[in-house]
Amino acid sequence: MIEVTKVWKRFAAPVLCDVTLTVPTGCLYGLIGPGAAGKSVLLKCLAGLLRPERGSVRLFGQAIEALDEVSLQAVRNRVGMLFQNNALFDHLTVAENIAFPMRRRGITDESVIAARVADRLRAVSLAGFEQRLPGGLSGGQKKRVGVARATVTRAEVVLYDEPAAGLDPVTSQKIFDLLRREQQEAGATVVMVSSDIDRLLTVTDRVGMMLDGALIFDGTTAEAKGSLHPVVKQFVHGEVDGPL
Amino acid sequence: MSAEPHAMERPQGPAEVAARRVLADARELQGVFLRTLYWTAKGRREPGEVARQCFEVGYRSAFFLSVTMGFIGMILVFQSGLQLLRVVPDLTLLGATFLELLVRDLGPTIAAMMLATRVGAGIAAEIGSMVVTEQVDALRMCGVDPVDHLVVPRFIASVVMTAALVMFSGLVSFAAGGATAWFVFDVQPLTYINFSLLDRGDLITGLLKCVAYGAAIPIVSGWCGLTTRGGSEGVGSATTSAVVNSSLAVIMLDLVLTGAGFVVFV
Ligand SMILES: Nc1ncnc2c1ncn2[C@@H]1O[C@H](COP(=O)(O)OP(=O)(O)OP(=O)(O)O)[C@@H](O)[C@H]1O
Ligand SMILES: [Mg+2]
Repeated sequence: MIEVTKVWKRFAAPVLCDVTLTVPTGCLYGLIGPGAAGKSVLLKCLAGLLRPERGSVRLFGQAIEALDEVSLQAVRNRVGMLFQNNALFDHLTVAENIAFPMRRRGITDESVIAARVADRLRAVSLAGFEQRLPGGLSGGQKKRVGVARATVTRAEVVLYDEPAAGLDPVTSQKIFDLLRREQQEAGATVVMVSSDIDRLLTVTDRVGMMLDGALIFDGTTAEAKGSLHPVVKQFVHGEVDGPL
Repeated sequence: MSAEPHAMERPQGPAEVAARRVLADARELQGVFLRTLYWTAKGRREPGEVARQCFEVGYRSAFFLSVTMGFIGMILVFQSGLQLLRVVPDLTLLGATFLELLVRDLGPTIAAMMLATRVGAGIAAEIGSMVVTEQVDALRMCGVDPVDHLVVPRFIASVVMTAALVMFSGLVSFAAGGATAWFVFDVQPLTYINFSLLDRGDLITGLLKCVAYGAAIPIVSGWCGLTTRGGSEGVGSATTSAVVNSSLAVIMLDLVLTGAGFVVFV
């Protein structure tokens, strides 16, 4: 379970204003909102990469804003993350990128690692790309390698920032279906940020919408689709006329 | 966006802001320093990475450093020879004095200043660009302390290679000075090569300086790289401040160690 209580984060201006949010264990939570609403910042606060000025973030029952970097490592070993810009290690091959989280969790059997990497690459339709460097991949291919790396350890909590950005409609639906299937198999708790709302809502259990640093909606997928909140209604249905 | 509570907006004078920033920087630098020592003692690492960094720091700087130190040796011997001739027209101790100065201070310090520009800039640029592309965040998500993964291999390589480079380039410098003394002042090599002024204190002070500089440059530059903000512009300023700060660190350590060496070895 992920519990966020009254989190306040500012850079030059406030970015998260008293965000309170609960994601139950085993839930696939979709986080939507217009650009610069603070979705990526919230995800980084969940991972302990950014520290909020106020408020608390609880993961696995631990208040992570109080932990130091060394204790955070133990928590992060149970979390997978896909960054919005992928953040692939550019000096490592695709295979080494995907294997990196496994090696750091103490898996040293090369045959196990190679099998798992091949399995991940097949899942994102990139079989045979093991020895390529990230610099030589297209935007969508990098995104898929990022997805493969985030899922390689079958973490209990996975945070995806735009898993389908830059992908064609067919591939993005395949990615969403893949992530949903694996989330259900593993019973993982997942938070997924995406601008591809139509496809995102086909896989989510619950949905939250952010606007200007505040969480203005939190409910089930059906509630989101039927919401009468003018902003949520406009955003979910992609209407041009409305308050946004 | 809701208004921010007043409690957070206590007005601060510019002096207070500056003092807070210096304190925060000092705390961060200390953090990088302590974590580097901790992971050097405790971390497990692939030997390949340290070897690669040794090559990066050592081999690639050797030519640049030897040329610089060679010229400096020539200039110093020439200038001090001219000065000496005005006071006492006897240059028999020229080589011995120069050697003592070279071992005790100039060799390590000038070489380290040169290394600070070459090695420091490289470390800060490499780590800084990993910060702005979020690769450092990705490392942290894999349960890796970026200090362990990025700073420590460079730290070990730098400590080892700085000592080696200082000895090698010091030798070049002494030889180039000897050639100058011979050709300009007609001091015979056998007179020039004179170890009589060199004692244990000089050697220990010189060696300590090598180690201290070799440790300071990657730590200061790694700290500059890890605290990079913004985009490629941030990487640029991180690189600049790495060079400036590691040169400053070298000079300050020089002062401290010279003072300490003087007190201990009179
Ligand atoms: N490291 C940072 N330094 C300063 N400001 C930041 C930083 N990261 C984010 N911000 C600011 O926080 C706000 C929210 O950013 P965030 O990346 O969370 O948006 P987002 O909701 O993910 O948008 P998008 O859908 O475009 O990715 C933005 O106004 C941005 O300028
Ligand atoms: Mg974002």
